[in-house]
Amino acid sequence: MSTHTTEGATDAARSEGRIGQVENEGVWEVFRQEREGDPMRHAGNLLAPDAELAMHYAREFYGRRQESTRLWVVPRAAIVDLSDPDLLQPPLDRSFKKPGGYVMREKLRAARKRVEEPRG
Amino acid sequence: MTVGTTPAAGLDAAAREALAELLLTLADDEFVLGFWDSEWTGIAPMLEEDVAFSSLAQDEIGHARVYYELLAELTGDPADGIAFGREPEAYGHCRLLDHPRTDWAFSVARRYLYDTADAVRLEALSRSSYRPLADAVAKIRREETYHLMHGDVWLRRLATGGGEARTRLEEALEVLWPDALTVFTPLAREDVLLSTGMLPEPISVMQQRWLTRIAPTFAALGLPFPFLADDSIYRPTFPVDLGGGRTQHGDAFQWLWGEFTSVHRLEAGAVW
Repeated sequence: MSTHTTEGATDAARSEGRIGQVENEGVWEVFRQEREGDPMRHAGNLLAPDAELAMHYAREFYGRRQESTRLWVVPRAAIVDLSDPDLLQPPLDRSFKKPGGYVMREKLRAARKRVEEPRG
Repeated sequence: MTVGTTPAAGLDAAAREALAELLLTLADDEFVLGFWDSEWTGIAPMLEEDVAFSSLAQDEIGHARVYYELLAELTGDPADGIAFGREPEAYGHCRLLDHPRTDWAFSVARRYLYDTADAVRLEALSRSSYRPLADAVAKIRREETYHLMHGDVWLRRLATGGGEARTRLEEALEVLWPDALTVFTPLAREDVLLSTGMLPEPISVMQQRWLTRIAPTFAALGLPFPFLADDSIYRPTFPVDLGGGRTQHGDAFQWLWGEFTSVHRLEAGAVW
């Protein structure tokens, strides 16, 4: 498959750490933490031939204005992609899987009543 | 005089003059390098590097501003006036920074030589008895950490990249080495700076520490390093001329000066 050929070439370029043409360069996904204690959020992505330059460029793109306290720079190839609709968007009603799927109001009222009755 | 707390007001005329010269060389070095490297904006080898290199150039202008403001406190002249209002011959940047941008390898090589030399100079100045300078340098050094990392990654990349990258890097170094030493051009009033502790160590000592520090990198990469180590002293294998190291400026700088003062010269005394 042609896509596999392209990916192979990208891997080779990456392992050699050379700068190739754009299609041979690796894509890196960058996550940033805005303040100490905040979760890491996706910031965007960039092209770089190796981890070292990816780190430099992430710093320039997502940190040079002091807007981040931490960055994670991840090769896109390291990401496990899951987008299969059969797994994520199955066709049957799944509302019972959601916390909001249960109607608790009546059950709660009955329970409160049971707890209060002996006191009254 | 208490070491570590020398306010501008407490300095005598000789000390002021000496400090002013030091501050001006620091400011002009950063200022001129910042403008040369900003010439890459829009045309660096790749988009990401374009942003990175432009940002580094911007940092240098920011550092220059800090030094110009320290100088302004000392002399009473406005910082903008000092930065933009002088004739080209009055600038005190070293000859290493008088070369034009040239090609990418040249700009990378120049930046590597300058940043590593500047790091040694800043290390010493962080112990300056002139507290405002020591404080400013402590902040500037934190930004320079990144500059050193960036310079190192590119020097290694071009050196090991083979072919044209390697050849161009070697050619750039051959041109730049003689002028690289001018970062450590002796200052006219260095004796005053040393006796007051405003400069904690002689410039010639800094120069040797710089060469000692970068020698292993050049050896490992097999790049031109035209010095012979003799009793732990690095002696250049080329004739050294530090005379005019910070006063002789060529046509390239004349052009750059015309560029970076063009707005200032549109209307003298205009206020932002």
